[in-house]
Amino acid sequence: MSPAPADPLEYKPLDGGWGWMVVIGAHISIGFAYATPKVLSIFFNEIQQDLGSSFSEIALISSIMLAAMYAGGPVSSAMVNRFGSRPIVMLGGLLCGVSMITASFGTSIIYLYFCIGVIGGCGLSLNLNASLIIISKYFLKRRPLANGLAMAGSPVFLCVLAPFNQYLLVNFGWRGSLLILGGLMLHCCVAGALMRPVPLPCKPPSYALEKTVEEQPNSGNTKLKKRFVKNAKKFLDFSLFKDRGFVIYLIGSIMFIFGAYAPIVFLSAYAKSQGVEEYSAAYLLSIMGFVDMFVRPGTGLIANSKLVRPRIQYFFSFALVFNGTCHLLCPLIKSYAFLVVYAVFFGIGFGMVFALIFECLMDLMGSQRFPRAVGLVTIIECFPMLLGPPAAGNYTLIMHSTYTDINQSKSAKHSSVNIEHALVLCS
Amino acid sequence: MERELCLSVCVIQLWMESATRKLQGDTRAASLLQLKGEGGGLVVLLHDAASRETRKRSSERPAHRGDRGIIIMSAIRKQLSFQILLLFISCRNINTKTLGATAPPLDPTAPLQKLERSYVLKGDSHTEKVELLNPVSLVLMCTWTGSQNKPTNITGFWSKDGKEIENSRVTVQLENKQYNLKRTFSIASEADLGSYSCDFGGEAKINFVLAVPQMGDERDKPIVSYLGDSVVVPCKLDDSKPTPNTWNWYRANETGKEQIIAGQKFSIKNDEKKTKLVIHDLTADDSGLYYCGAVYGVGITMGRVELKVISFFEPLKPFIAILVEVIILVAAILLYEKSRSKKDYTAAGNGATDQTNTLSSGENNGPEESSSMRQRKV
Repeated sequence: MSPAPADPLEYKPLDGGWGWMVVIGAHISIGFAYATPKVLSIFFNEIQQDLGSSFSEIALISSIMLAAMYAGGPVSSAMVNRFGSRPIVMLGGLLCGVSMITASFGTSIIYLYFCIGVIGGCGLSLNLNASLIIISKYFLKRRPLANGLAMAGSPVFLCVLAPFNQYLLVNFGWRGSLLILGGLMLHCCVAGALMRPVPLPCKPPSYALEKTVEEQPNSGNTKLKKRFVKNAKKFLDFSLFKDRGFVIYLIGSIMFIFGAYAPIVFLSAYAKSQGVEEYSAAYLLSIMGFVDMFVRPGTGLIANSKLVRPRIQYFFSFALVFNGTCHLLCPLIKSYAFLVVYAVFFGIGFGMVFALIFECLMDLMGSQRFPRAVGLVTIIECFPMLLGPPAAGNYTLIMHSTYTDINQSKSAKHSSVNIEHALVLCS
Repeated sequence: MERELCLSVCVIQLWMESATRKLQGDTRAASLLQLKGEGGGLVVLLHDAASRETRKRSSERPAHRGDRGIIIMSAIRKQLSFQILLLFISCRNINTKTLGATAPPLDPTAPLQKLERSYVLKGDSHTEKVELLNPVSLVLMCTWTGSQNKPTNITGFWSKDGKEIENSRVTVQLENKQYNLKRTFSIASEADLGSYSCDFGGEAKINFVLAVPQMGDERDKPIVSYLGDSVVVPCKLDDSKPTPNTWNWYRANETGKEQIIAGQKFSIKNDEKKTKLVIHDLTADDSGLYYCGAVYGVGITMGRVELKVISFFEPLKPFIAILVEVIILVAAILLYEKSRSKKDYTAAGNGATDQTNTLSSGENNGPEESSSMRQRKV
């Protein structure tokens, strides 16, 4: 297993001080990035009635937003490397705010696809990648904790925005709610303001930038395009595929993401099929979110400890196995009390995995290669994430099976991911 | 008959009104009033022969014969129009009371469909729900197994909505250890629906609740929309319920429900078990309760939707507040950073040596720390 190239840290990461403010900023940014596509579904019923389209057309808004968010990864990483995190997150926040505000005036579904889906998704992708990259720049010793705290933004914002959106919907209708939501998303600009650029020493750290400095005296207008293409290629960096660890991580993460979101989508349907009433079934998801909120920083804290930090990949594998077995045991559950227990364990497993997923990538790739790696990972993750829940839905249709069989297949995938990761450790 | 009487009364009253106005020298009184009553439709056209300056936005309407909508012109002076309105409303209330459903009147000579419902009671009482769609000739049969002591004869009677039906008392004999009561009811209209009970000597009772299929769960949250916008108010019947003959929409006002007629402002789209009321050009007056009625042969089942119309300034205010807050926060953070960097800059000259010292010590610690951290090195 070829080790990662040396990480000459020309500057010592702060590991504290202003770094905690950066963590708050990343928390807000990541929170909006993951929670917004999910909470927008609260408005879909109303929008569907007013615009007179079918439910699948409306649900496509969320999918387009997610797709744009993940697909914009490489572009976002490239821009962060060029301009630093702060302007990118502020631009992302501005884009998100503008997208929601313009969407509130929408009269057709195509307009909403463009505003919320494309523009909103791009804004969120800028936010997400930039936040992750700046954490890797500000922290080294306490990086798992910082990652755990920042990723905790996702369940926190989900738990806060979901009832808040309901309240907005009842009082202002969907147009007013989108307007106010746009205003809230402008807080990503505040998060961006917090992300003070790391003071770089005089020598440019990345060799890509070096090359641009060399070429600059020679380049005229004709060479500008060539340089741009070269830079672009560097950030969709296929040389990363030579790293075995990265490839294994990528394969594992694809399989995990393919199965990860299906249980969330089907949990309430499964509970209802077991005879639980609708309100309690929805409650299960909020239990899961609530547990997730506390598990992520907790996992970060554990991963930071002296015992676990050197073996963080093992811990990540354990989290994946835990997640998988949790789903495997689900078919045995019949009563509501056990479903609640399942939701709690699901929350724990989910939180652990997501707290560690980017920390492990940072660990594998090092602070220098992380921006390019995360760009590549997000754009590749885009596909399983979009295909996962519909594929699970089709699976139920084809096999006439219940949620339980899906669970088994997904958890089988999770367990295989665990085996993959064990291989990663041999370096 | 009543309706025609009422309409003619209305006409006379209006003519008298316009006459008095003319006498009073009111040049803007209504000059022509035309009433057309056709089976189910009432058309009123008011012409303003005189001035136009008080005409409101949507009120200008040329006369259209055969137009079934009620169009009230606002060009008439407020006092007159208010009085005319009052007359109309009072007339219309009588109409709705006597007409009931807007379904075509029943042919009294056609034989009614026969339907039978029966129940065997073992305890004290029981309630049975009967869903009816169309007018039927309903036969209700009650059977009671009797109590501890079984007298040979008991008195049984029928009641509707708690009140005993006249001439329904009969002496019931014990046959095969059971008491039987049977009666035929003609259910022709909404007034005939209700709770029918057969009572066995005051000791046992079976209630049959006759009703049209009820609407499912109603949404308790109002639909919110904006001034000048158009909104779609939906209403849906459960899939398990039968398809109604048609749908009607009503608007709640001070004196009950007023039927909405499709026109420029309202359009109704019916689709078997779903219906949509589209309201264009919303105004603040359009807020309130709307009722959708699924019309069956024998009655109407109502669903309720609330509409709230707000101006765009309402969400705009919190939005502007949030915007101001964001700008203040961003400015505060950036200014704080600038002031701190200025302080660092002035102190930099003094502390330059200190900084380089800390840097070198940091690098020395680096290799030692890497053994505890999982940072790969070549």
